[in-house]
Amino acid sequence: MSTAVEPSISLLGLEAWAERPAGPGWLRELKALALESHRALGIPTTKHEEWKYTPLRGLTERRWTPGEPGPAVFQQELPRHEPNSVRVVLVNGRFDRNLSESGTPSPVTGEGAGGGGLTAKSLRDALTEDEALVRPWLGQVRPRTTQAVGREIKPDSHTFAELNTVVFEDGLFLRLQGEIAPLVEIVHVSTGEGQAFAPRVLILAEEGSRARIVETYVSDGTGPTFILPVTEVIVKEGAHLEHVRVQDESPESFHIANWQTHQAPRSEYHSYNVCYGAALARVDQGIWLDGEDTVTRLDGVVCASGDQHIDNHTRLDHAFPNGNSFEIYKQVVDDRATVVFNGKIFVHQDAQKTDAKQTNQALLLSPTATIDSKPQLEIFADDVKCTHGATVGQLEDLPLFYMRSRGVPKQQAEAVLVYAFAAEVLELITHEGVRQSLEKRLYEKLGVDLT
Amino acid sequence: MLQIHDLHAQVADDRREILKGLSLTVQAGEVHAVMGPNGSGKSTLANVVAGRETYEVTRGDILLDGESLLESEPDERAHRGVFMAFQYPVEIPGVSNTYFLRAALNARLKAEGKEEMDAMSFLKHIRAKVQLLGLSNDMLSRSVNEGFSGGEKKRNEIFQMAVLEPRLCVLDETDSGLDIDALQTVANGVNALRSPDRAFIVVTHYQRLLNFIVPDFVHVLMDGRIVKSGGKELALELEDKGYGWIEAEVGATA
Ligand SMILES: Nc1ncnc2c1ncn2[C@@H]1O[C@H](COP(=O)(O)OP(=O)(O)OP(=O)(O)O)[C@@H](O)[C@H]1O
Ligand SMILES: [Mg+2]
Repeated sequence: MSTAVEPSISLLGLEAWAERPAGPGWLRELKALALESHRALGIPTTKHEEWKYTPLRGLTERRWTPGEPGPAVFQQELPRHEPNSVRVVLVNGRFDRNLSESGTPSPVTGEGAGGGGLTAKSLRDALTEDEALVRPWLGQVRPRTTQAVGREIKPDSHTFAELNTVVFEDGLFLRLQGEIAPLVEIVHVSTGEGQAFAPRVLILAEEGSRARIVETYVSDGTGPTFILPVTEVIVKEGAHLEHVRVQDESPESFHIANWQTHQAPRSEYHSYNVCYGAALARVDQGIWLDGEDTVTRLDGVVCASGDQHIDNHTRLDHAFPNGNSFEIYKQVVDDRATVVFNGKIFVHQDAQKTDAKQTNQALLLSPTATIDSKPQLEIFADDVKCTHGATVGQLEDLPLFYMRSRGVPKQQAEAVLVYAFAAEVLELITHEGVRQSLEKRLYEKLGVDLT
Repeated sequence: MLQIHDLHAQVADDRREILKGLSLTVQAGEVHAVMGPNGSGKSTLANVVAGRETYEVTRGDILLDGESLLESEPDERAHRGVFMAFQYPVEIPGVSNTYFLRAALNARLKAEGKEEMDAMSFLKHIRAKVQLLGLSNDMLSRSVNEGFSGGEKKRNEIFQMAVLEPRLCVLDETDSGLDIDALQTVANGVNALRSPDRAFIVVTHYQRLLNFIVPDFVHVLMDGRIVKSGGKELALELEDKGYGWIEAEVGATA
């Protein structure tokens, strides 16, 4: 039964997936390479260093089937953080023209203030229609070879990202040009018990562009689903992008995501990884700083309760001088939930004058809650400033009593203090609508209705 | 209004007894000053009345309007009209002062079955009180007590009291650390709230405060008990002579 190479696709019951036809020739080549890597990597066990605290038993014990197209209409309202946003919707990994700003013909395009332009279209269409834009980046955002990464530092291997490359059929191509005034919302909806989805999102923030996007993942709670999304983001020279990622899936969902960003010189990328939902969630976020004078935020807010298991692995590569990066993770763990955080920062030999700050703080609300956190700084340059700190605490007695003595009920007082803990990150999100809806969801998760 | 009867309280952790048979009766409309040496149990008394779980009542009772407070949670006591101005007000980073206070007020309105206040009517409700206590807009929007000076924290306590309009107000050394002007401001805040259906227990070390907030009774708390009570002239006597003579007196009668 145990061979050296796990037949991993069949381990998930997804053999049928590997056989689907796959677009243009260059893509088929990409997919063939990805299949090779995925086969070699298999489905990791907890013996694997990067999966030490995250057993995948719950995932591999089930049989999954390749995702079918979802329904054309939804009973419940799809998430929207801001009434005036431009919203695009992917249902079961497929770009949905009708739900993406009803009535707008595909591709969704919009003019922002200052002559900006927004293109949002099915990735499947973009593979052929926009080959010149898509091909250089798809699957290439993260340096994959030791040669590309540099002598001393190893590239990561991401078996689920490889699997996504093998099987994805559609997703979103988003191109941002100039200044985009409205908030851009990307909504991923999953529905269909026992189905697996592999949406692929490619975001191209062109030179000098400015935009704010929020990418929200939900599932409809009608049975376990498994999503293995890959989002690739290219922030070109001088571009400024705020990217909020919200994982708010129903509590029986499985979510294993890969999120890679490439930053060109003088670009700014402010990313926020908000994790509220799913039974098992793992996000691998990588940011490659490929030029001087970059500013980067990679912050996270995690709130896990019940039996949730939420794991975030971040990796930041400072490959050029004068990069500023800030990483704050605020993690709230209640009941029997487990939260894992691993934050790698590599400062490459040439990356002099790097200024990198990493903080991760956990708040344990119950004696059976678990947090495993590991900062990992590897520095190969000599003139740099790098700091990291980690704390684990509980709600303090005195502020709770203070609030209660003024009449605030216990549960609400606790929720307010938990929010205050998370607020240090949430309040950095510049879009007020997004911030408020994330605050509201956090209170809902904590069982407090603040109306 | 308030009857404390033979109250014994200990620190829950180490069972050290701090209040050792304290009795005190306060009628509506009255102001009672409580004075006493450091460590005699004044703050413990205030905290036990407010319901702090650090302390365990082992004997005796606290009645508010004839009903025991002891089984009530701190927030329920607040809804019943109890308020303590903390000797050391607590900083709560990330929670704005106005948000906090509105949540507190709305929780009580809700408990009373009344309609809650929206942000606008709340701002209207507090406007006059903000002025009375000389609070700045900045202090209102900042996190609760965070980075406030000692005096600002004390003014904020009285401001909260003015907004919540409790019936039993326990002020624990609200005068400590105040400059003369702030003392006057705080006293004005308290005096504005004095009314026939409201009572005050004012814990202080200084007779000076009692020139501004004139008490009906003055009590001396020593080693967990009220050992002497009198009128406002008792405070003057204490200022003059210290606590030694009372200790001697208590020792002689014990
Ligand atoms: N949580 C606690 N744990 C241990 N000891 C305590 C605790 N709270 C109070 N005490 C002790 O009980 C005694 C009374 O303390 P309390 O704070 O009530 O005094 P106080 O009269 O308010 O003094 P001060 O005038 O200095 O404010 C002190 O000896 C104090 O150290
Ligand atoms: Mg005291």
